[in-house]
Amino acid sequence: MLERLQAWLNRSRSGRKAQQALAHLPAPKTPQAQPLTDLRLIVLDLETTGLNPAKDEVIAIGAVAINGQRIAMDDQFDLILRRPELDISETVLIHGIGPEALTKGHETEDALLHLLEWMNGDPILAYHAAFDKKFLEKTLRQTLAYSQPHTWLDVAELMPALFPDAKPGGHTLDHWSAQFGLAASARHHAAADALVTAELTLIALNRAGKAGLATLSELNRKLRDVRRLNSLKRL
Amino acid sequence: MTTPLDRELPQNTRAVIGFLREHAPFSNMDDAHLAHFAEHASLQFFADGDVVLSPAEGAVDRFYVVKQGRVQGERVSERTGETETTFEISQGECFPLAALIGERPTRTLHRASGDTFCLSLDHDSFVTLFADSDTFRDFCLRGVSSLLDQVNQRIQSGAMASIGHGSSLDTPLARYALRNPIVCSPDTPIRKAVSRMHDNSVGSIVVTDDNRHPIGIFTLRDLRTVVAESTAPLDSPVSQVMTPEPCCLPATADAFEAAMLMAEHHFAHLCVKDADNQLIGVVSERDLFSLQRVDLVHLARTIGTATHLRTLVSLRSEVSRLVDSMLAHGADSGQVVKIITTLNDVTVRRVLELNLKRHAPGLPFTWLTFGSEGRREQTLLTDQDNGILFQAPAGVSESQARERLLPFADTVNHELAECGFTLCKGNIMANNPKLCLSQREWDDWFQQFIDAATPKNLMYSSIFLDMRAVFGPIDPLQSLLDGVLGRISANPLFQKMLAENALNRRPPLNLFRGFRYASDGEPHTLDLKRQGLAPFVESIRVFALAHQVESANTLERLDALADKGVFDRKDASAWKEAYSLIQAIRMRAHQEQLKQQKPLSNFINPDDLNPLDRRILRESFRQAQRLQQKLEVTYQL
Repeated sequence: MLERLQAWLNRSRSGRKAQQALAHLPAPKTPQAQPLTDLRLIVLDLETTGLNPAKDEVIAIGAVAINGQRIAMDDQFDLILRRPELDISETVLIHGIGPEALTKGHETEDALLHLLEWMNGDPILAYHAAFDKKFLEKTLRQTLAYSQPHTWLDVAELMPALFPDAKPGGHTLDHWSAQFGLAASARHHAAADALVTAELTLIALNRAGKAGLATLSELNRKLRDVRRLNSLKRL
Repeated sequence: MTTPLDRELPQNTRAVIGFLREHAPFSNMDDAHLAHFAEHASLQFFADGDVVLSPAEGAVDRFYVVKQGRVQGERVSERTGETETTFEISQGECFPLAALIGERPTRTLHRASGDTFCLSLDHDSFVTLFADSDTFRDFCLRGVSSLLDQVNQRIQSGAMASIGHGSSLDTPLARYALRNPIVCSPDTPIRKAVSRMHDNSVGSIVVTDDNRHPIGIFTLRDLRTVVAESTAPLDSPVSQVMTPEPCCLPATADAFEAAMLMAEHHFAHLCVKDADNQLIGVVSERDLFSLQRVDLVHLARTIGTATHLRTLVSLRSEVSRLVDSMLAHGADSGQVVKIITTLNDVTVRRVLELNLKRHAPGLPFTWLTFGSEGRREQTLLTDQDNGILFQAPAGVSESQARERLLPFADTVNHELAECGFTLCKGNIMANNPKLCLSQREWDDWFQQFIDAATPKNLMYSSIFLDMRAVFGPIDPLQSLLDGVLGRISANPLFQKMLAENALNRRPPLNLFRGFRYASDGEPHTLDLKRQGLAPFVESIRVFALAHQVESANTLERLDALADKGVFDRKDASAWKEAYSLIQAIRMRAHQEQLKQQKPLSNFINPDDLNPLDRRILRESFRQAQRLQQKLEVTYQL
């Protein structure tokens, strides 16, 4: 992982830019028969300047990976792209690999390439995923002209589908966190919110296993069924 | 606390470090080691009832810390075949240490209790941490006992501040005992014995038989009597004036036991014997305390020979000072309550003796004590629970005897109150005609108590079923006690009612393992006596009475129940430890209150404790819950 990153950094420093790097990125994976117990999933949260994908910008990206139903602290992504209070050109990259790669002033471009590399094409989960999906796709398109479709799953959909009897009293991340006694270590911090979302995902995966859902495609099918059922109810 | 290191780490890693810092032993680890932990940690979820670790999985390869929720250890009881919870691991605690270090499978099934998140390290990261951090290694190797040491060290260092250094009371007597003690045969003339003492500048000489078994001791105090009262010419054999059957202890006994024995009997010298009863040394009061200002023996003797009530009253403040210094010299809470009990006994005896000199009631009686005093579990906060067991001489009716004894008892009760033993609000005192009885009357009284187990009787069980004699002949009490124990052990219904009653006091933990505060104290306080100690005392009493254990002392009852196979030995020692810790925290609070000249109280606010004490207190309450569970299972409640 580190070697790959350093190799990539060297490549981009040596003058050849994003286009070459893009060609080497791992391809997105689709939901197949991957067993849920032995699967890498990306759980992501974005901080943005507002709610409108047409106008607003991504400020920070926080993500953790679930691998074999475990969240490893040495496999995460914690990146502040732009801080409104700071010089707009400044980006600060913080990640969990090691201080060698901790260099200030990475271009947004470099940071996003690194994110794609790190995600390794694995399915992406987020809370209210449609929001994060729109912002991330827009940012990738504008910065890197990258438009490959990734597999997204919505944790806001996963929780009520697997815990139909729970009464969290609302539909937000805070409601579901409180339902299971979880709390983010920092408010409105992309990485902290991503971790709480991932913790909910662990709970959901545990329940899915007990409900006989063994693979990602089975889980995806379950979500589709619940969606269809809900739209029927609305009619 | 933010270190430069922290700022380079991702938010989630910093949050893990922050979590670890709140829990021992991580709280004492270096930042670099914590960062290593956090960077290599993984987070896992276990739903309620999920198996976390199982003996079937083979050698353990991860180290876990509970981040949220609980993990319980399960073991199948060999006796009943039922699954029982052996331990509970809650937030900030780690597992499975022994199996991980031994690179073997765990012996206990670990199961999540409630939704649980655990942080874990793989074997390599664990080994690195183990090698790099002394604190972590110490904890892994010695487990929770390394934390208990920290607590005890703090209890002692607090008291030490006012005393200065001294040697520990745990020191085996062999270390103190004078090698090659000065001895002589029984036919040695007194003059020769004294000159031998003089030549060796010692205060005592042991008289031994041909097998080197000690048969008597002769001290300078005895010599004073010989000279002052001219009891024997100095040419007569020492056996005529020696104290026969000298007090002896085995070499394995510790200084504390020696001090207690001296305090109780007012001896200044003790013989130390080996396994074959051969004399190997002599320990004097001066040997034990030459380096310390702790003077238990001296204080006990001063109390025991005081000639006026006001002297006794003034000596009571010395008792508190002594408790301070005992804690400082390494006495544990079990030792300290015994010291307090011993000094209280000496005081009670002296008050009785002084009153007997003034106006003896003229008939033999035994002074009984009940409740915590009966159990030898008194702390500085104590009130009177006593009674009289008398033998009416021929021609004196029981009521006539009682009429003679009651005014005497009343004076004693009030003088004890002056010495600091608060009068009993429930009137459980010897001056109460209902508690000043002959053996026949006591026997009837207990028969009624047991056969007609009313709720009120059961309420008094914690007082009357823990009794002992402080003064007077012991035999009448012994036969009374035999009858009571026989009756209870043959009466399963009464046992069951006692058990039900014992479950009325629940340890102060709520469902979420937080503290359940006392309803009758200040807000956010726990009653260490009623909520903390009582569940142990009451449950153990039921088992002890059912199995005819004679001792009233809770720790001794636990030992006896383990000896009889009623309790698993490991369980018994866990319960002893838990009980002693609650007692230690209670006594420390009392010493603190005395220092601040506040009235003594058993209520404490757990927020005032440091996190380590809080955790240990919580674990101790958990042990009380386990003990109560055993009671519930045994009596099917």
